[in-house]
Amino acid sequence: MFFDAAEQFINGVMYGSLYALIGGGFTILFGVMRRFNMAYGATIMAAAYVSLVPLYLFRAPFWLMVLTGLAAAILIGLLVEFCCFRFIKKGHELAPLVATIGMLIAITEAIVHATDAAGLKYPSPFGDESLELGRFLVRPDYLAVLVAGVLCFTLIFLLLYKTRLGRAMRAVAERPEAAQILGVSVQRVNVLTFVLTSALAGVIGFFAAVSVGSARPDIAAFVTGKGLVVMVLGGLGSLPGAIVGGLVLGVLEFQATWFLGASYRDILAFLILFVILVFRPRGLLGARTT
Amino acid sequence: MRRMTGLQVIALAVALLLVPAWAVAFQNEGTLRIGGMWALSGGAAFFGKAALGLGTLAVDEINEAGGVTVGGKKVKLTMHPQDDACNAEQGLAAVRRLATVDKVLFSLGPTCSSVAEPVFGTLQKKLGDAGDTGLQLLFFTDTATKFGLAKLSPWVFRNTPDEPAMYDFIVKYLKENRPELKTVMVSYESDFAHSAATWKGALEPALKKHGYHQVVEVVDWKWLDTEMGAQVTKLRRANADVYFALAHTTSMCPSLKEMKSQRVKPKLIFGITSLAGTEVLLNCPDLAEGVVSPTNFAPINARAKQIADKSWEKYKADSNIHSVPAYENVHLIKGLIEKAGLTNTEDTLLQDRRKVRDLLAKVGTFQGVIGKITLNPEDHPVKPRDVDKDMLLVQVKSAKWTVFWAPPHLKQN
Repeated sequence: MFFDAAEQFINGVMYGSLYALIGGGFTILFGVMRRFNMAYGATIMAAAYVSLVPLYLFRAPFWLMVLTGLAAAILIGLLVEFCCFRFIKKGHELAPLVATIGMLIAITEAIVHATDAAGLKYPSPFGDESLELGRFLVRPDYLAVLVAGVLCFTLIFLLLYKTRLGRAMRAVAERPEAAQILGVSVQRVNVLTFVLTSALAGVIGFFAAVSVGSARPDIAAFVTGKGLVVMVLGGLGSLPGAIVGGLVLGVLEFQATWFLGASYRDILAFLILFVILVFRPRGLLGARTT
Repeated sequence: MRRMTGLQVIALAVALLLVPAWAVAFQNEGTLRIGGMWALSGGAAFFGKAALGLGTLAVDEINEAGGVTVGGKKVKLTMHPQDDACNAEQGLAAVRRLATVDKVLFSLGPTCSSVAEPVFGTLQKKLGDAGDTGLQLLFFTDTATKFGLAKLSPWVFRNTPDEPAMYDFIVKYLKENRPELKTVMVSYESDFAHSAATWKGALEPALKKHGYHQVVEVVDWKWLDTEMGAQVTKLRRANADVYFALAHTTSMCPSLKEMKSQRVKPKLIFGITSLAGTEVLLNCPDLAEGVVSPTNFAPINARAKQIADKSWEKYKADSNIHSVPAYENVHLIKGLIEKAGLTNTEDTLLQDRRKVRDLLAKVGTFQGVIGKITLNPEDHPVKPRDVDKDMLLVQVKSAKWTVFWAPPHLKQN
């Protein structure tokens, strides 16, 4: 019993790192712009598909696949920013929400039509067989997600708290008008925020596809659902909250599936989310700013 | 001649757009409309697009051969597909459109049983009952497989797999040919009607009926789940001889990946009927190596190979257990149209649908792509308006489906 719970806890933490990365992407954008980007999941899914192009064309190595995915994600992210955010005036908060839902559907269906709705095999550079750590079996791709999560969040925190861009992003997140008066270009910060979160989408797309074993159109819906839950659970706009929220969701899902079965997994996870939000409406680590 | 002003051009364009679609159809215009509703977007689109492709291929073949003879005149078939996205609400809108706007003679599809159930519920329950205002639209379904759906309305006929018979055969086959394999573990998708029904309505009754195998573990997940670590750990602990993975490709591939990761190696793996297509070979050919699946279609004769090649070349449509029936259904209905004495006008559409329906109810045995198919009569005690047809077992070998078992009369083809 204890061993089972411990094994599922470890798996939950590792897989929760993927949720944390997804939630982190949603959160950074919301934290800076105070707007939801519902097309983020589609960006992740499309990046996973595009990253396969060099592999299928000329058997490119993995690093080139990852770079292609990153480049594709950044381009798609900039397209989303241009189409759904740039020209919408402040005060019309619902407009980008609806516009990005439209973009989510458009990107997903474009991939569905381009691939005839087929998932495509996505090879793993980490090997297929689990590592044996004592009595525990640990999936190497999940371990890689955990390591990638630690690296990505370290880099993001360094960027936010040790660079001029990070300071500008925090200023725009806190008081956009005041930041503008002080000479910060809000539009430039918004674009760079999109570049940052889109690059993260490229990384997430790679790991999401590796963990599933294929790039599939429904990855968009999956990451959108998880990302929103993590963001709300952790606290809107709180990056540490997204990390904690992702890990908590991962652990909850694994424990619920093990002890109660998959049918009860979502019931339990969302019941706990509900309880948390009743007692802490701002989420676990809810804060106004990033 | 006076030239049209810009405003007049726009007015004409708008007027043309507003002309009802059916105004350019029917006998006078030399066309006969047939329809189909499938998941052409969303998670099940691979199957929907394949069925649309195979149905359209049949329409092309008929039209290239001159069309279909109605009232002594050759008319062309036109295909009017609707996308239900494997979503019940969209399906309900699509069926209304097919019946009353597109005004098709009959419809193929739907893809998903979860759509078929509410859609068939809107059809007339009792033929000729003026008080029953249900839609009078003939369905000749190719894909929606859940057992018993054709009982929902006399307007529904299906050319779909008989899964209870298939899994009964597999259990019997294992008992007789592999008696050393005694323990069984099962996975299914709890939110996918077809998968859950295959477990509850086909495999579980077969295992109980034959009483030979011991079921040591049953796990479930959702069809779009991406993580099955906990469930596969349970399967690993169960360590059964035979594994029935009643999952579609979307969850089958990640679960097989997890099984490989946890070194779960049952001696034999059986999949769900829907697995026997190209989708799984695109997603995880290496992981699926050795998996056996029951099916009603494999390219085992020259005609089947030709259809599979042509549909892929022309429409990128996969010929599989669900899509090939769309091809068979169109060809069968073509013959019935020519016998039914249709008038093919808007005013007589309901009578025309009824005539074709009544002929279909009496069709009995007809030739399918790989063998004979028997459409059960309306008074069949178990599965009225459903078919009986040959089944095969196919197995993934070197990233291709190969025949694992076929009835002797098909092997001779």
